[in-house]
Amino acid sequence: MTERGQIGRLGALAFGLALVFAGLGVRLALLHLGPQEPLRRRIAATRRHEQPILVGRGRILDRSRHILAMDLTVNDVCADPQALLRDGYARFVGLHLARLLDLDPAWVMAGLNQPERQFFYVERRVRDDIAEEVRRLRLPHVWFRPVSARYYPHEHLMAHVVGFSNHEGVGSAGAEQRMDRYLRGRPGVRISERDGRGVELPSRRSLEIAPQEGANVYLTLDIHVQQMVERALDEALERTRAVGAWAAVQEVRTGRILAMASRPAFDLNRFNESDPEERRNRVIGTVFEPGSTFKAAVIAAALDLGVVTPEQTFDCESGLWMHRGRPLRDYSPHGVLTVADILQKSSNIGAAKIALEMGEERLERAVRAFGFGRPSGIDLPGEEAGIAHPRRNWSALSISRIAMGHEIGVTALQILNAVCAIANDGFLMQPSVVARVETPRGQPLYVHEPSVIGRPIRAPTARRMVELMARVTEPGGTGRRAAVEGYRVAGKTGTAQKPSRGGYAAGLNVASFVGVLPAERPVLGIIVVIDEPRGERTGGAVAAPVFREIAAEAVRYLGIPPSGEVELIDPAARARARRETEAGRDPGDAL
Amino acid sequence: MWKTASILIGIVLVLMTVGFVMLGSTSGVLARSDTVGVGHFVARQAVWIALALVAGAVAARLDYHAWQRLAVPFGLLALALLVMALVPGLGMRIKGSRRWLSFGLFHFQPSELAKIAIVVLLAWWMKRQGRRSGSLVHGLLIPGGILALFAGLILGGPDVGTTVLVMLVGGGVLLVGGARPLYLVVAGAGGFSLLTLAVLHDELRMRRILAFLEPEAYARDEAFQLINALYAFVVGGTWGAGFGQSLQKRYYLPEAHTDFIFAIVGEELGVFASLGVLVLFAGLFACGLVIAVRAPDPFGRLLAVGLTLMLGVQALMNIAVVTGSMPTTGIALPFMSYGGSSLIVSSVMVGMLVNISLHAGGMVRDEDTRAIKDRTHRW
Repeated sequence: MTERGQIGRLGALAFGLALVFAGLGVRLALLHLGPQEPLRRRIAATRRHEQPILVGRGRILDRSRHILAMDLTVNDVCADPQALLRDGYARFVGLHLARLLDLDPAWVMAGLNQPERQFFYVERRVRDDIAEEVRRLRLPHVWFRPVSARYYPHEHLMAHVVGFSNHEGVGSAGAEQRMDRYLRGRPGVRISERDGRGVELPSRRSLEIAPQEGANVYLTLDIHVQQMVERALDEALERTRAVGAWAAVQEVRTGRILAMASRPAFDLNRFNESDPEERRNRVIGTVFEPGSTFKAAVIAAALDLGVVTPEQTFDCESGLWMHRGRPLRDYSPHGVLTVADILQKSSNIGAAKIALEMGEERLERAVRAFGFGRPSGIDLPGEEAGIAHPRRNWSALSISRIAMGHEIGVTALQILNAVCAIANDGFLMQPSVVARVETPRGQPLYVHEPSVIGRPIRAPTARRMVELMARVTEPGGTGRRAAVEGYRVAGKTGTAQKPSRGGYAAGLNVASFVGVLPAERPVLGIIVVIDEPRGERTGGAVAAPVFREIAAEAVRYLGIPPSGEVELIDPAARARARRETEAGRDPGDAL
Repeated sequence: MWKTASILIGIVLVLMTVGFVMLGSTSGVLARSDTVGVGHFVARQAVWIALALVAGAVAARLDYHAWQRLAVPFGLLALALLVMALVPGLGMRIKGSRRWLSFGLFHFQPSELAKIAIVVLLAWWMKRQGRRSGSLVHGLLIPGGILALFAGLILGGPDVGTTVLVMLVGGGVLLVGGARPLYLVVAGAGGFSLLTLAVLHDELRMRRILAFLEPEAYARDEAFQLINALYAFVVGGTWGAGFGQSLQKRYYLPEAHTDFIFAIVGEELGVFASLGVLVLFAGLFACGLVIAVRAPDPFGRLLAVGLTLMLGVQALMNIAVVTGSMPTTGIALPFMSYGGSSLIVSSVMVGMLVNISLHAGGMVRDEDTRAIKDRTHRW
């Protein structure tokens, strides 16, 4: 080998390797600088880590801050069927889980016997203490996923008002639904990058939007009043063997609802096991023919218009009046009655004659003025408007029927609100269940102020009307059983036959009583409706005692002073009180 | 020749520094997760660098002619170690490969030692053959047999990358040493056929080749590293993601601190840094060639050729793997990848090259230098 040859071969080698160097240089430059924008974006997209920061749902509380709905951390129990089958643990794990979680072993085994699946919910929303028992067993391929679940500590209580949020955390009934946008808060988001194992890299967070916690909703309701109402309803249901019952308590001056209950009810924690009938809030969601309670509104309007005076008399035809070829009956026959007595004894014939005095146009206007035929606008979902046909659809008989509370459909809340308007110097208030909404730190987001939505009658008429209604619970009235010791109660009974196909169902009634107390300065309005009571069926017999039960407890709990002379210690104050009374605070004396 | 040597040393020091700094950047992630301290890899590499510098200095001081006498015993030692690594009781198994011998504190890769041994043996043999180097027996069969023996043992590791490397380098030394190109081509073709057969019988290696040919289909397993190495350069772009800002080192590239450190250089520092590293290796290669050309005697030249090829081809293979130009093999990037054996052996090779260049420049005078002028050493 000559030196030249060697150098030549060396040169050839060097040249070859230089080519490789150059080639790799080009390759590198292409990788770095080539038109790689789409690929770069794709890489960035797969590495992007976007993580929602979830927040808890706000609470629902009553007006004295008792918690009605709250978030609770529970556990979803998950398993990996594929790994369990592979390692031969499926049977062992399945039996343990079925035992601890109180599940059907066959069902659990079927779930775990899915070799193609790597994920299976053994059970969702398991309480912490039970999850802890499972955890202690250290079962292979079983793990827990903490989730927050809605918990309703009072279960059935106030179920229809509080409502529930579904398993996706969306409010689906009651205040949970109506106030959902406040309760749910706003989840935040965190954007960063993930490493090769999918773990987020905190050092690479590029954006973090803080979440907004769900706000707390305070209801106007009071759980103690609510308990009184629900207890009374349950007892009434047992006593009367009725198919349903509902009641509400309202503050006369403000329109705030203190209690609202409906039977049948359901456990909010198991809302998915309830049927739609149980979930219906009948106070606002059931339309019924009110019967005689409606007379209060008709007579109030007639008095206000000056069509009749309380002392004016009508012939009640001894219980049977042929009007336009059709019979109109009274529950018990009466002769000539004053307007005051027509109300007290609830004469259908008398009420019809008063309505005829008013005429169709003014009656229709009065019905609308009291808020019938349209939703009250209460802050709950599922409110019915009721049925109040326009006058052009009325038949010749309609005017006499509407006067006694038939041919018209109302909700209990509409009746209650109308009677409260009579008790509230004629101001029709906006009924409400939500008092305010606050952030968890106490910053108010929404505050409900009482608002007037109508003025169906003037104040003097209203006061006179309350006095007339007070006679209903006095001897000789239909609502004697609603009387509360120490308090004068102004109210009205109602007994309506239930409409059925082509007429009215015999023997099926809706019995109701609506009233306010104390009659001198009404504070509370209460309505009780009993659906299809058996045995005694009239409002005075069935609903009035329930009213009394609720009212008697509520006035004491709420500290409402009794009617009549209050022994005042200060003589000057007593004199002042007397002067005020003489100045016309008590307009009913004329009766 | 001092100039060439100092450029060579300078390049090596720069590469070592860049490698060490990048190791600091990449290994922090790994260290934290592997339950070793953050400084674990950096501290060990610092020790290796110190040892490598000492070893390189010693090699530069050691007259390269001494390797002629050491060739055979050194070759036998390397062979013995290679065999030991393959014996189940003695060799260590890491990630399914038997390439390591354990010496308590550290693991040693005999194939690294074999790289020097092969170069020395072949250079010694070809120089001895003189005019016979063109013959079939002396120019091909004997040296080829030696080479095949080493290559076979390394392949048993299994370490296909290093096998290919020593075959290429050995072929280069034989070529420059005077073997007939035709023989070499035929033998090379035969060798690579055998290698291909061996690979075809090895499922893992086969899948790696398939993954190389069709990365998208194997994106989740075999081609995961490959694709993520490519992504590193793409993400790096012109200016890089910034020092320490690599995302690929965070579990996208499992070997970010060893075989794939070059990808992290590209990702963090951009195109100029990665081309710069390539240019440095090209410079190293050029220096080695200059030293080979100016070597004072045939052994020196062949030795320089072998060492230069060994370093240059290894760097090229690593960069080719990382840039997806070649199927994935476990080849370290000289001076930059984490790992002691590779670093020390590479340093020793550079030290030997420096020693040759010092002789060529007449800066070292000894008996052998004079001996060049006698008849037997005439070109």
